[in-house]
Amino acid sequence: MRALRIAATGMAAQQLNVEVISNNIANMNTVGFKRQRAEFQDLLYQSIERQGAQSSEAGTVVPTGVQLGSGVKAGSVYRITGQGNLTQTGNRFDLAIDGRGFFQVQMPSGEMAYTRAGNFAVNDQGILVTDDGYIIEPQISIPTDAKDVVISRTGQVQVLTEGNPTPQAVGQLEIAIFFNEAGLEAIGDNLFLESGASGAASVGTPGDVGYGQLVQGYTEASNVDAVSEITALIVAQRAYEMNSKVVTAADEMLQATSQLKS
Amino acid sequence: MENAGYIALSRQMTLRRELDVAANNLANADSVGFKVEQLMVETEEGDRARNFGVSHPARFVLDSGVGRDFGQGTLRQTGAVLDFAVEGDGFFKVGGPEGERYTRDGRFTLDATGRLVTAQGLPVLGEGGAEILVDPEKPDISVSADGVISQDGERLGRLEVVRFDALGALSKDGDGLYANRSNATPEPAADARVRQGMVEESNVQPIIEITNLIEISRAYERMAKIIEQTNDLSRRSVERLGRVS
Repeated sequence: MRALRIAATGMAAQQLNVEVISNNIANMNTVGFKRQRAEFQDLLYQSIERQGAQSSEAGTVVPTGVQLGSGVKAGSVYRITGQGNLTQTGNRFDLAIDGRGFFQVQMPSGEMAYTRAGNFAVNDQGILVTDDGYIIEPQISIPTDAKDVVISRTGQVQVLTEGNPTPQAVGQLEIAIFFNEAGLEAIGDNLFLESGASGAASVGTPGDVGYGQLVQGYTEASNVDAVSEITALIVAQRAYEMNSKVVTAADEMLQATSQLKS
Repeated sequence: MENAGYIALSRQMTLRRELDVAANNLANADSVGFKVEQLMVETEEGDRARNFGVSHPARFVLDSGVGRDFGQGTLRQTGAVLDFAVEGDGFFKVGGPEGERYTRDGRFTLDATGRLVTAQGLPVLGEGGAEILVDPEKPDISVSADGVISQDGERLGRLEVVRFDALGALSKDGDGLYANRSNATPEPAADARVRQGMVEESNVQPIIEITNLIEISRAYERMAKIIEQTNDLSRRSVERLGRVS
């Protein structure tokens, strides 16, 4: 019976849906996390009776035909790149991007990764790094005698040193944007890699047209909305139940056939 | 020949297909742009199952087609800039490897070169079959109700929304796509409006599908009963009439 398999695809799809929702809820407090959404599409159709097929000698044609579907599949798990709320932390190395863009992170392997999580720190050499210790590109060195660090909205990093009233520029932060942010490949630890679907990174100065601005002393909270995730969870659970009802109905019908006695 | 059993069997065969259709509806209750379907069942106009000794001829049943309800699904706000929904009668036009396809699923994205594409990567077509190119270095695009896409005050093109006089001309390709395999030509949908930041949910009503499910499985059981009783009848008549005293 085809219905059994169709219902199974429905249950599998809803299971994936619940997995995506649970990952969103689990990452509700992850800095820079972007929520994901499972998207479904109908599977292939089998034409039992073609529409347009001739139905009589007189040239009448079947207007609609019988096309039977074979269930549902997960089309993609889409990342919704909407802005998260900015949370004040007071930490001078915390940076949030207000608008589009990603910080560039030099991975130990030499690859370039991208992140929205701006909870940065300085390492033992005074270089600005992520909380995993990976160096932010372009590299910014904070001198040891720096009294205070000011990062402007356009990414200019300035330090105030003891006995010198004028701030000194020590570097300029740059951010990267992509044609298709949703196509970036997530590798965990809030990091993303460029992929064939995302297009090449175009690097620019924060605050330029199309690029977001930097906000010092803030981090970007995840854009997960607890209420909508919970309602989505309820909907997914009910949908799963309804697909299981189809399995029961198909089973009962098979039973009715197998209990026929002659 | 007693045909009651065969008539019941013909009904059971259509019921199985009805179940398949209901199962597909329920499985796709969450698929954006999906349109609910129903199997159309009619009495077979061809040979009668029994045509002597009865005032009304007994006939077999036959499934004649799958009907689709193209009614509007609920619009759900997603806030995503590249999500679109068609309100009213009409389809987005996309370019596939085997020609144009039509869809109500407006969850578009940009590909690596900045083209507006569907979730499967097929280019969304604008007026005159042109692809729509978006510049990522500019602010987000905005789309008016008549489908005109603009970015930073500059017109990029227009989403072409088309409609068909006879929706039966469309056949399904999966992935939310419809193919036009008849010689009907699509025409611009003047009444349809494009909504940005929204998607159209499927118009499956789970309650109706579940009640259909119950009806289908009960009807199937009833048919099984009829088959059983017919068989009983023949068995008993053989037993009684064939008895040699």
